Amino acid sequence: MSLPEFKFVRPQSLSEAVAILQQHSPAADPLAPRRPPEERGGIEIIAGGTDLIPSMRQRLFEPEFVLDIRAIRELRGIREVPGGDLELGALTTLTEIERSAIIRQRYPVLAEAARTVASPVIRNMATIGGNICLDTRCVWYNQSLQWRKSCGFCIKKDGDLCHVAPGGQKCWAAFSADTPPALLCLEAEIEIAGPAGPRRLPLSELYTGEGDARMNLRRNEILARIILPRRTANWRGAYRKLRIRGSIDYPLAGVAVAIENNGHIQQANIAITGVNPAPVLVKRAGGLLAGKALSESLAAEAADLAARTAKPLTTSALTPEYRREIVRVFTRRALMEAGG
Amino acid sequence: MKKQLISIRVNGRTHEIAIAPSQLLLECLRQDLGLTGSKRACEDSSCGACTVLIGGTPMLSCATLAMSVALDDDGHGPEITTVEGIAEHGSLAAIQKAYGDWGGAQCGFCTPGFMCTVSALLDHNSDPSEAEVRDALSSNLCRCTGYMQMYQAVRAAIEAERKGRAAAGTGTH
Amino acid sequence: MAKNGSNGDFSVIGKPVAFVDAAGKTTGSGKYTDDLTMPGMLVGKILHSPLPHARIKRLDVSGAEQLEGVVAVVVGKDAPNKYGILPVGHDETALAVDKVRYIGDNVACVCAVDESTAERALELIDVEYEPLPAYFDPEESMKAERDLIHEQRPHNIEKDYHHVFGDPDAGFAASDVIHEARYIANEVTHAAMEPHSTLAAFEIDPQSGEPGRLTVWSSTQVPYYLQHKLSLVLEMPMSQIRVIKPLVGGGFGGKSEVIPLEIIAAVAARKAKAPVKITYTREEVFWAHRGRPRTIIDLKVGAKRDGSLQAVSARVVQDGGAYCSYGVVTILYSGALLGAIYDIPNVRYDGYRVLTNKPACGAMRGHGTVNVRFAFESAFDEIASKLALDPAEIRRRNLLKPPAITVNGLRVQSYGLPECIDRVIEGSGWGARKGKLQAQGSVRRGMGLGCSHYVSGAANSIIRSDMPHSTVNIKIDRDGGVVVYTGASDIGQGSDTMVAQVAAEVLGCTLRRVKVIAADTDLTPIDIGSYSSRVTFMNGNATLRAAEDVKKQIVSAAARKLGCPPEDVVMRGDLVFRRGASLVEPGREQSAAEILEAKDAPRGGPVSSNAPTVSGKVEGQILRGSLQQKRKEEGRRDQLTFEEAVVAAIDFHGALSGTGSYAPPQEARGGAFKGSGVGPSPAYSYCAQVAEVSVDEDTGEVAVHKIWAAHDCGRALNPVSVEGQVIGSVWMGLGQALQEEMVWKDGLLINPGMLGYCSPSAAESPEIECYIVESVDPEGPFGAKECSEGSLAATIPAISNAIYDACGIRLRESPFTPERVLAALRERDQQKKLNLTEGVSPTAPERFREHGGATWFAGKGPARHELDPARTGRVSDVTGD
Repeated sequence: MSLPEFKFVRPQSLSEAVAILQQHSPAADPLAPRRPPEERGGIEIIAGGTDLIPSMRQRLFEPEFVLDIRAIRELRGIREVPGGDLELGALTTLTEIERSAIIRQRYPVLAEAARTVASPVIRNMATIGGNICLDTRCVWYNQSLQWRKSCGFCIKKDGDLCHVAPGGQKCWAAFSADTPPALLCLEAEIEIAGPAGPRRLPLSELYTGEGDARMNLRRNEILARIILPRRTANWRGAYRKLRIRGSIDYPLAGVAVAIENNGHIQQANIAITGVNPAPVLVKRAGGLLAGKALSESLAAEAADLAARTAKPLTTSALTPEYRREIVRVFTRRALMEAGG
Repeated sequence: MKKQLISIRVNGRTHEIAIAPSQLLLECLRQDLGLTGSKRACEDSSCGACTVLIGGTPMLSCATLAMSVALDDDGHGPEITTVEGIAEHGSLAAIQKAYGDWGGAQCGFCTPGFMCTVSALLDHNSDPSEAEVRDALSSNLCRCTGYMQMYQAVRAAIEAERKGRAAAGTGTH
Repeated sequence: MAKNGSNGDFSVIGKPVAFVDAAGKTTGSGKYTDDLTMPGMLVGKILHSPLPHARIKRLDVSGAEQLEGVVAVVVGKDAPNKYGILPVGHDETALAVDKVRYIGDNVACVCAVDESTAERALELIDVEYEPLPAYFDPEESMKAERDLIHEQRPHNIEKDYHHVFGDPDAGFAASDVIHEARYIANEVTHAAMEPHSTLAAFEIDPQSGEPGRLTVWSSTQVPYYLQHKLSLVLEMPMSQIRVIKPLVGGGFGGKSEVIPLEIIAAVAARKAKAPVKITYTREEVFWAHRGRPRTIIDLKVGAKRDGSLQAVSARVVQDGGAYCSYGVVTILYSGALLGAIYDIPNVRYDGYRVLTNKPACGAMRGHGTVNVRFAFESAFDEIASKLALDPAEIRRRNLLKPPAITVNGLRVQSYGLPECIDRVIEGSGWGARKGKLQAQGSVRRGMGLGCSHYVSGAANSIIRSDMPHSTVNIKIDRDGGVVVYTGASDIGQGSDTMVAQVAAEVLGCTLRRVKVIAADTDLTPIDIGSYSSRVTFMNGNATLRAAEDVKKQIVSAAARKLGCPPEDVVMRGDLVFRRGASLVEPGREQSAAEILEAKDAPRGGPVSSNAPTVSGKVEGQILRGSLQQKRKEEGRRDQLTFEEAVVAAIDFHGALSGTGSYAPPQEARGGAFKGSGVGPSPAYSYCAQVAEVSVDEDTGEVAVHKIWAAHDCGRALNPVSVEGQVIGSVWMGLGQALQEEMVWKDGLLINPGMLGYCSPSAAESPEIECYIVESVDPEGPFGAKECSEGSLAATIPAISNAIYDACGIRLRESPFTPERVLAALRERDQQKKLNLTEGVSPTAPERFREHGGATWFAGKGPARHELDPARTGRVSDVTGD
């Protein structure tokens, strides 16, 4: 399949990029959240291209414009800011993250999660910003136009029905990126550039939990940088990923944990991916773990919480109950490894 | 869609070509430049048969827009190396010779991608560990070899480079 | 690598050599079909059916025809003649004529100036379908009374066979232990890296001024069958059709018959009056399929207390998809090869090849044997454990004693299975390690053994006739260049290299002298193609005979020069000499030319560009010609160079060419029962493997650490290539064992891409240690047999048996995905059942709900006919017995 036709723009600065987005956002409602996939038309941002281009081939996106942000220098680089936080430009590639000495030292769970994404060549292209904004995935959605036509399309794109939960009006496509659960555990914040200047919010507030309108990102905004707070630096962590192949695959389930531990757990976070329409922090896990010494039984208790948070459906290979069970096993193992 | 004139630099030469903005680098290499070594095999950017080096880094030409690697008005832009640019002065590079000698290529369709991936690995690390080789090879799918003979080929190429001769594997079987 | 060198006294064969086409592959200069272009070439794109079974009520292509850039739109009635790879299975047309039979069936083809125009035009084609009830499960499909997939096939049964050899009932009665179980192997596909591609072009006939001859470049394993089927569909004589096979990026059986695009491209080129190239998208490759069918095997095995097998009975049902393809052969192979690896006196086989509304299954590496081998070798282990016998020991107690004729009439002359078993048992440290590997936490380790065998080509060709299966021509010119014309299709397995090696060995010349022209129907004589692992045996024998033919002529001329009887003439190391008179030291054969040049070049120097001119030229060739002329006048000689001998032969005979052909001998063609045409082969390969695995009992994840694989290939003509084939087969078996599976929803393939169909990456691929066993077959070329397929079938049971050794669970359904493993572990421990049915349609028969969602994925699928049983939830359960 060839790509649909589009116009190509390649701004050199963030402000120029935002201006282009503003100019091409529907005049009626420029503040409306991006609800990808858009109807035909609109503007799509491309960074690494590893998510958008295969999707455009399948006609999941048929934008009027493609905005290439790779020439924007201010979106690159890893730097420590006064106060000790670490800022990652949205264009930082996953290879740069897995190789960065400072990330490996201070935020090892992020480096570990980055290392599991797809394959080394894809990580040379794929960016942290793109991984955060990765489109949700579903076997009924990530298919060619011809294929989707065969089953009357789906609610996420061109149709009005969810094959995964028939009868419902909600899209359950699974969020399938590896680094966001690690970032959630590290309590990362993000900076979004828009016409009114930058705004900053916890990463956890970016996601809506909807499979289709997955992010609170407006049509005229760009994810600019990720901020790793000083307070979670040096937390021990681990990421576990369920995949069929040892390379290339998206996660069928993933669990990240990060712990501040000095004999007893001071603080801890657990986040899961690949099983819900968003990456989610496991509620009450921090409360359960804090102040206790890590043990197999405590880990098992936390694993129960994680498994209950997981809502896998038939969006992906392997059956839902198995994937939920794996969230449990992986949570227990990740905790024991991070706390060991 | 009206085509646009761009310049791209491939295997040490600059080419001026007219392309649609939606043209992929892979299509541009195969159709406009006649460099058919890079292959289209999967269409979901998973298999690595289209791998080329962009600025020395292996990337998928099927997930790269040609416009994104075009030279700017000052002639600045990334150097692209395809499998056709791996051979040295008209002879096989050590890795190419070794893949032939050790059965690293059977049907050969995935081989151009592997050539790019492995030569980038060896450019950056002249003595990779077994795990590093395995990790690099995990970017590209092969359906014939089971990858085993590729490890021998990579070892042989490293050895040949070390000995400073172009012919890997000769007399070592 | 020394362990896998050949022992014979040979110059060229038995030594590892790089493929003759290796440089084209590693530099990217080698051309595959999709790399070819022609002036004025159009791009063809195919419209596929969105429904599994439907009548085409209306097909309106006018919208597409009117789009700027569209040159022609082809539909079924443009070429309605039926074809199929088997003479009994002519059930396909280029494009659907009245109805579509699977999602992905071919409806129309647009030819346009570029890909995106053609794709846009497809959207403008208007088709009205009337859905028909569709069948997705073979055991349901077999009950169909109406709305048959093909009207000429009652109950949607393509073919059923019922064979009885010996007295199975008596055999079971005499057995001390009987094991009975159902095994299921889910559907897998070839997933060759190169998507199918075909370029078709007509030339104008100078006499008539009308389009005349057709040339087709195609990614095919079978150029001659393609030529034949094109002739049927286009109603053109075969002589007017030329099929050329460029480099092919892997086949594994997926290109071993005529694939729809090959016919469509030719029909399209005729209608568009321009060259047309069609290259499948990866999704279309999955629809074209022809892979290994989902197979349900009800197996019963009986043995005496000492482990000796008494009887085997199998009921095999294959989910064949919507067209016959190779199906009749597949179901026959499953029966013929089921028991023939061991000495089994009594066999009953009931095989059913059933049509369903899914892409057609066909031949895939290990054709017909793989799934039944999984069942049998697993069952054999279960018998062994009931009898408390070591799995290796029970196999050793049931070996054939060659030369032998199996109970179903297969002639076995060379049988390296005993040595294969010995090699892997020894190599893996089986005795000391099996059953004693340490667990680490929840991870348990185990080892398992599996054996397999395969044909070296079918003794009876698809189209029954007495014609040779392979013919090879060789031409040698005065320059000493040897050109071999072979119809063998190199698809990456290295047949061009094999042919060159065999010719060079016979002619005693260097490999560099030999050029192979292959797989071009205008140039090369008939070879029936690359499938059933027939090429080394059959085309190798034809090459050997062609080379012997030409050698005879050289020898007779050389004998006169050397003044000795022809039988004393030796051709070796690029020299021709009297026996016992070689001036060449062993190991220095390659340097014959240098010796000659040093001895005879004018002014003592080697031939170089500084040498004196002859006829105003400095090329070595002409210079050498003058040297040869000089020597001709010298009279009797002790030795000649290869070129001198060639010149002498041409001077004497007038021309130097040879031909050779091969047809399997009558004794190898099997018994007289119905269906006996499939299974017999002139020789069989044998394999044994040990797999070492670990199973994570918390997650059900299986990791294969190492596989020791021994393969009896007769003689290894090119050890590095044999190892590559064996390792590749084992590795492909590993994929089927653990992670490859086609997942369906009402005939809609859920995972039609490389991302969803998980063929193994380097990350999880284990070390495979290959042992070549050389049983040296009396009829193979230099004793060679099959090496490219047989090993695949042993891997799956070796892994399942290793999983049993690790944790005591028997997996009877492949692939052994982590969820199936975990479910079995829970059952072993009588823990809460793992529900694998959430993903399964509630309308699916119970047995599918038990087995997970592979066939009846939940969700709303394509539109269905109101009487469709799967739609109404009225699917009944059948046990299948």
